[in-house]
Amino acid sequence: MASISSTYGETDQVLVEEKSSVRIFTLNRPKQLNALSFAMVSRLLELFTSCAEDSSVKLIILKGRGRAFCAGGDVAAVVRDISQGNWRLGAEYFRKEFTLNYVMATYNKPQVSLLDGIVMGGGAGASMHGRFRVATENSLFAMPETALGLFPDVGASYFLSRLPGFFGEYVGLTGARLDGAEMLACGLATHFLRSERLTLLEEALCKANSSDPRVISSIINEFSEVPNLKEKSSYHKLKIINRCFSRRTIEEIIAALEREGVQRKDDWISSSIQSLKKASPTSLKLSLRSIREGRLQGIGKCLVREFRMVCHVLRGEVSKDFTEGCRAILLDKDKNPKWEPSKIELVTDELIDRCFSKVKDDGWEDLQLPVRSDLASYAIAKL
Amino acid sequence: MEKVNFRTQVLTRHLLNNDHRGTAATAGISTSPCLSYTPPEISSKPFPFDVNSMRKLMDGHNIEDRDWLFNLMIQSNLFNPKLRGGKIFVVPDYNQSMEQQREITMKRIQYLLDHGVFERWLTGKGFDAEMRKLALLEVIEIFDHSLAIKIGVHFFLWGGAILFFGTKRHHDKWLKASEDYHIKGCFAMTELGHGSNVRGIETITTYDSKTEEFVINTPCESAQKYWIGGAANHATHTVVFSQLNIDGNNQGVHAFITQIRDADGNICPNIRIADCGHKIGLNGVDNGRIWFDNVRIPRENLLNSVADVSADGKYLSAIKDPDQRFGAFMAPLTSGRVTIALSAIYSTKISLAIAIRYSLTRRAFSITPNGDEVLLLDYPSHQRRLLPLLAKTYAMTFAGNYLKLLYVKRTPQLIKTLHVVSSALKAILTWHNMRTLQECREACGGQGLKTENRIGQLKGEFDVQSTFEGDNNVLMQQVSKAMLAEYVAAKRRNKPFKDLGLEHMNKSCPVIPSRLTNSTLRSAQFQIDIFCLRERDLLNRFAIEVSENQAQGESKESAFIVGYQLAEDLGRAYSDRLILQTFIEAENNVTDTPLKEMLGLIRSMYVLVSLDEDVAFLRYGYLTVEAAATVRKEIVKLCAEIRPHALSLVSSFGIPDAFLSPIAFDWVAANSWSN
Repeated sequence: MASISSTYGETDQVLVEEKSSVRIFTLNRPKQLNALSFAMVSRLLELFTSCAEDSSVKLIILKGRGRAFCAGGDVAAVVRDISQGNWRLGAEYFRKEFTLNYVMATYNKPQVSLLDGIVMGGGAGASMHGRFRVATENSLFAMPETALGLFPDVGASYFLSRLPGFFGEYVGLTGARLDGAEMLACGLATHFLRSERLTLLEEALCKANSSDPRVISSIINEFSEVPNLKEKSSYHKLKIINRCFSRRTIEEIIAALEREGVQRKDDWISSSIQSLKKASPTSLKLSLRSIREGRLQGIGKCLVREFRMVCHVLRGEVSKDFTEGCRAILLDKDKNPKWEPSKIELVTDELIDRCFSKVKDDGWEDLQLPVRSDLASYAIAKL
Repeated sequence: MEKVNFRTQVLTRHLLNNDHRGTAATAGISTSPCLSYTPPEISSKPFPFDVNSMRKLMDGHNIEDRDWLFNLMIQSNLFNPKLRGGKIFVVPDYNQSMEQQREITMKRIQYLLDHGVFERWLTGKGFDAEMRKLALLEVIEIFDHSLAIKIGVHFFLWGGAILFFGTKRHHDKWLKASEDYHIKGCFAMTELGHGSNVRGIETITTYDSKTEEFVINTPCESAQKYWIGGAANHATHTVVFSQLNIDGNNQGVHAFITQIRDADGNICPNIRIADCGHKIGLNGVDNGRIWFDNVRIPRENLLNSVADVSADGKYLSAIKDPDQRFGAFMAPLTSGRVTIALSAIYSTKISLAIAIRYSLTRRAFSITPNGDEVLLLDYPSHQRRLLPLLAKTYAMTFAGNYLKLLYVKRTPQLIKTLHVVSSALKAILTWHNMRTLQECREACGGQGLKTENRIGQLKGEFDVQSTFEGDNNVLMQQVSKAMLAEYVAAKRRNKPFKDLGLEHMNKSCPVIPSRLTNSTLRSAQFQIDIFCLRERDLLNRFAIEVSENQAQGESKESAFIVGYQLAEDLGRAYSDRLILQTFIEAENNVTDTPLKEMLGLIRSMYVLVSLDEDVAFLRYGYLTVEAAATVRKEIVKLCAEIRPHALSLVSSFGIPDAFLSPIAFDWVAANSWSN
């Protein structure tokens, strides 16, 4: 009954299983922690597009091989393009990736993502827009972009801004790591179950033969449990997070955290401040504004805006922090990036404004999202 | 069927639904629908102009601060988020009792305070602080008028009184404490017997030099303070307006600070407070009535920027004429009229955004056999109802922005202009708001009656605008009175007009072409000419009528009162011309071609609709009967031309989805059984 298709070379980076009305897609680059290559993104887009029209497919399961679900986008390749003077090539990667994110967000069948390991950056983009997100004790979630000189993209300005209170700002700005229990508590995950039960869950889902989210949800419920948040969980700090991360600017957020730090000795506060101070100042300001705008926009508009922002970042006209961050964290691994501008107060509003403007480059086009004649209203933005 | 499943599934997919294990909450529609909702974004053409640029032009300033505050409200349960049709809406629960609405309003203020919204509202100086404050107040108004009014009373009236009428000792003592809400202020001016006529108030204050105290007294029932926002439940302090009687001489109206409650909320001795009760709107504001039974306050509590009383009881003032003193006193109160005018525009925008979005998704009747039913906004009659109001709202937005800058950059030389402009625009903009709300309510049919769809409720919430801070009709009379004074002064001295925008009276009378072509009607020159023509002719007529009446022995005042018909026409003529001028100015500053073209269309619509609606153009012959018919035809064309851009024009208002209402989006899903 099961069949594994790997007809041509590149595609075995995504394994495909057909089990009755279910399609199981497995990200298969375990050595790179399933980081999404251009080929993988293209393949997934093809698969999702063809399954959308195939009425025999009722459910999609997405998972990763090895200890990661997906550790992010293939940033190294993008940086290679930029260093060869070809930002457009790098941007085409994001164009495809964001299109995939949009297709998932507006998909006509439930997508169940099994997040049994690392879920970061692009990995979050490939799962958070789907209906069901199943975490386990092995889950490790983070949006680490600000430490790389980028900003939470892949539609993160949409899904982070819809977390409770200002938890999204906290997660997006500090790059804080969350475990499965925390993901469930804040809503990034819809279910939590122990890793050992995943196989049983898959089997049960394959027998479901249904696209009804109520049916799918109740099946996953049967295997689920409600884990306890660890004592030191940042989710317990939601009150402080709301007080501080609701502030209007990065400067005010840091000042508010420092005031809290004076009032009480707390490792969590000092490590949050540390993360913010280590991150690219430009990235922080871009990220905050992106999340704030995202809260008022639909998913489509978020992706179009993020795509503009990514292009500006890749072009390096506002700051070269992205190449510098990738050099320091991913390539040279000296973990000592030299940000420019080096201080938050040196990043002007004009600088940030530019990153939100239309890219003025010969013939360059905004992200064009596939037309959906039956798009739900929540997915649409007015601005 | 497949399509319906798709939609219901997508609706429930996202993080909006925190009830991840809930099954009932994710229920789909089980029966086949008769109608399906298509978002207007799908059927409308792509925006011909950049909506964000248009929004920036309209909102004008502090865009990121505005979005930040929208974010703050959306993220708090205090703002009553509700999931309807797959989207979150924040809108107050008007079904709560008056007491509950008052309490939640106060809690919301505390939340905004805790998150730094009011930082520098009273202690901040300068242009940026002022503009930030006004921007944030506009955002608050979009959520709830009660919340904005309660905040407005505390900061603009109580805080403003201390700022403008007080001196350093008052500033040091009260401003920071008020900004942090350690004290809560109110503003006791209006009395049962006197509203717009402040000079007639009956509360009386005397001075006791033995104890160096003022004694404030409510001598009769008609002198009870009335409608005092904040007084019924929360305010700890008030600024009291009262006649000041020194040694038997009445020195006119003065302002005093009086504590009315202690920190625990107990009413102070010799103060009596009663509730104004339930109202047709604004029930989140605790309006109260206050009686003062010879309340004693220290001499220092006189707000003494204009006049003072020495320790031994001597009255001291730099301004000898009591009339001028009163004028100096009242001048700063324009802030109230400015914020009212601005908030009227945002209320108008909410209702138009909802009604137009609904009209782009709701169909009624087919006009061909077996054909699809027609979208409401595809009916020319429906266009004629809504699109002119949309154009007026654009025009008045630019006028509002002009007023705002005039206020923030005011100088002593501009006080008179500010008084006239704020009076005119407060009246015109709030009347426009009420009219638009009613039209939009009707345009939404039965759905407009539901509180959750906002428009109907806004009618009650905003009705007060035509009354508070000066009755609209009284304000409009002041406009024509000021114009007449300007006219008399210019004629008497035989000097050119140089104020109130009347400079056009110095030029020769504009000539209106006898045959109005399409391009003439749409030219800014013709448009400004015909508005100026009306204004100058009405002013001449009004001046003649008043002087003729005076020649027959009537007093100046009664001659003015008798001429009310022309006075009303004149006030409107002045306002329309002012609004058009601000529009043209804003348009001239735009360089982007698609944006400019769009604005040109809207301007023409604004002017032509005004020509069509104001009978004065025909009555006094500024337009011939044939020309009036041509104007009418052109409006139909303009409606058709603006129709394709209706969605982008309301999107440019910059009001987040969450602050609109379910009928502005998927109203089928919002009303499905599972919802």
